[in-house]
Amino acid sequence: MSYQRTQTFNNRRQQNWSRNQNTVAFVSSIKLGPVAHTVLVALMITVLGLIYLTQATRATSYDYATQKIDSQIAELNTQKNDLQIENARLTALETVKKSSVASTMTTPVSTNYVEQ
Amino acid sequence: MNLELQKGSRSKILAAILFGFMTVFSVRLFYLQIIQHDYYVDAAKREQVKRLTIPAKRGTIYALDGQTPVPLVMNQTVYTVFADPQVASDNNKIIDTIRRVAGGNARPDLESLLSLKDSRYQILATKISRTQADKIKAAKLSGIGFQEESQRVYPEGSLAAQTLGFIDYSGIGRYGVEGKLNKRLTGVDGLLQSVTDVSDVPLTIGNNNIDQPAVDGDNIVLSIDRNVQSHTEQALADGLKRTGATRGSAIVMDPQTGKIMAMTNLPTYDPSKLNEVKDVSLFNNAVVSAPYEPGSDVKTLTIATGIDKGVVTPTSTYVNTDHIQVDDRTISNAIFGRTGEITFQYALNWSLNTGFVTIAQRLGDGKSITREARDTMYDYFYNRFKLGQLTGVEVAGEAAGTIIPPTVAEGNAVRYSNMAFGQGMDVPMIQVASAFNSIVNGGKYYKPTVLAGVVDKNGKYIPNKIENPSISISKSTADQVREMTRVARTLFFARGDKPGYYIGGKTGTSQVVRDGVYANDETIGTYLGYGGSEDTTRYVIMIQVSGDHKELEGGLDAMPIFTDISNWMIDYLDLQPKG
Repeated sequence: MSYQRTQTFNNRRQQNWSRNQNTVAFVSSIKLGPVAHTVLVALMITVLGLIYLTQATRATSYDYATQKIDSQIAELNTQKNDLQIENARLTALETVKKSSVASTMTTPVSTNYVEQ
Repeated sequence: MNLELQKGSRSKILAAILFGFMTVFSVRLFYLQIIQHDYYVDAAKREQVKRLTIPAKRGTIYALDGQTPVPLVMNQTVYTVFADPQVASDNNKIIDTIRRVAGGNARPDLESLLSLKDSRYQILATKISRTQADKIKAAKLSGIGFQEESQRVYPEGSLAAQTLGFIDYSGIGRYGVEGKLNKRLTGVDGLLQSVTDVSDVPLTIGNNNIDQPAVDGDNIVLSIDRNVQSHTEQALADGLKRTGATRGSAIVMDPQTGKIMAMTNLPTYDPSKLNEVKDVSLFNNAVVSAPYEPGSDVKTLTIATGIDKGVVTPTSTYVNTDHIQVDDRTISNAIFGRTGEITFQYALNWSLNTGFVTIAQRLGDGKSITREARDTMYDYFYNRFKLGQLTGVEVAGEAAGTIIPPTVAEGNAVRYSNMAFGQGMDVPMIQVASAFNSIVNGGKYYKPTVLAGVVDKNGKYIPNKIENPSISISKSTADQVREMTRVARTLFFARGDKPGYYIGGKTGTSQVVRDGVYANDETIGTYLGYGGSEDTTRYVIMIQVSGDHKELEGGLDAMPIFTDISNWMIDYLDLQPKG
């Protein structure tokens, strides 16, 4: 894109008080009409919308991942709980009393105590 | 010129039409978005935002095995299998799979249930485990669904059932610890409010999401020791079989803390089979909820009162004539012939009512049970030994019982003469056992409790601190009465005791009030005793046996059950004999 000098002014006041200011203004040679402006604005809005949608979709995908992990945790907790119940049943007094080990136990004939 | 005018007219007409449409749209949008804003926002929220309750997990109830908590009541996720008969297609496969996997949990009439094509919901099996549910799911049966629910399970079966209680169909604790500590065990449900998708998966979009986690119920550790409880239940069952009694109760306590190590009543029930219970009175824990006239067990409290007030000693004497006059009533001994000048130790040994009425008289002017004597007895029985008032034990349905104060007309001398040997008053066993604790532990009254502590979220057992006791009697008095009960037991009932231990107790045989009068054909037998070393009492055991129209005695019927449990406790607690 190139620019050309289109206008020059030399104002006495500027010369005196704004010596370092640009005194030349450049104007683009490409002219955008109202339709082009409208299209560009629409495109910008579309891009922004797509960015928003992308982010929102990504956040939602995390929700599904979280939900999946939560389900796995719940499933594992249920399994752990079932195992704890099974463990409690296997170590319950009635089970122990009926075990083969218990059935072979005998009452001691005599008991000696260690002096404390 | 005409052409330009026509062009302009069409544009204007088109503009006017468009403007009209735009106006209609704008007005409609204004109506929908501004005027009806709240309505549609609410409708959208109803559609998209779900409020899901996160159920709090009901606390587990543990017993102790020595010092280690073991679960007595747990939660298990179970499933109900249901069918939509209109959708179910392969009935034979469904029936075969359900029967094979669910076994006894399947309904017997599956064929007829599945043939009900007008119905959309028929239950095929209940309370199946997760593993069973997974197997049925794996069969990919059409028209079959599952409902998840949590239920209480009891790994130890009916052990301590009446202390535990149960939860009803709506999940509320009833009876026992479940009823008394329902709020602590229930916890607080959480709340999840969120925008959800069609599958009800919560999404993070939206501004009004709430994620309030559930607070699970406390995991409570009972002071009930499962080994002591199991043996006590067995010993009581054996005792009932031996004596022919149809009802029995027992409590084993640690007198140094007030903790209840075992508490049982027979007959009992299986909390996992509530539908099989025919008599709802079985749900009550009679040890805490059934006041009765405790009889001669209370003589230990009367002698403690007399010694503590300095009006008698174990060796001081009175003249026993087998009868004693109180106002217009003559009170007699149950055992005749031990007449003459006898000591109060002798009166306790033979459980002579006259001796204890004499103590009541000596609390007054020595001749009659004056108001001063009754005030003193009431102070000791009610205020110090806490009879006739709720103990606060953490079991639902506790009864306070009745101790008539001397301030009312019924609290006269005759009443208090009867109270001196355990009649004319109604108290549950737990009150008598707790009062006796304070005699055998040196005079400290500990509030009875079934709570030992909690298990925290990390599974760590945190024991409760023991509450400070109140002082019921002096240590000197307590030691004297403790020795008196040891002597009383040694004379008559110590044959079955393991040698080398300090064991004592008192029999009780109470009359039963039926239709307002004492029944002639029914008595309740009790035995209240302790064991340990000379220095420290380690356990207190109270036994009660009864039956309709059965005359049961403390020494003959209840005492052997005490001996059975006492000898077992000595081994269980690893107590070393003296000498």
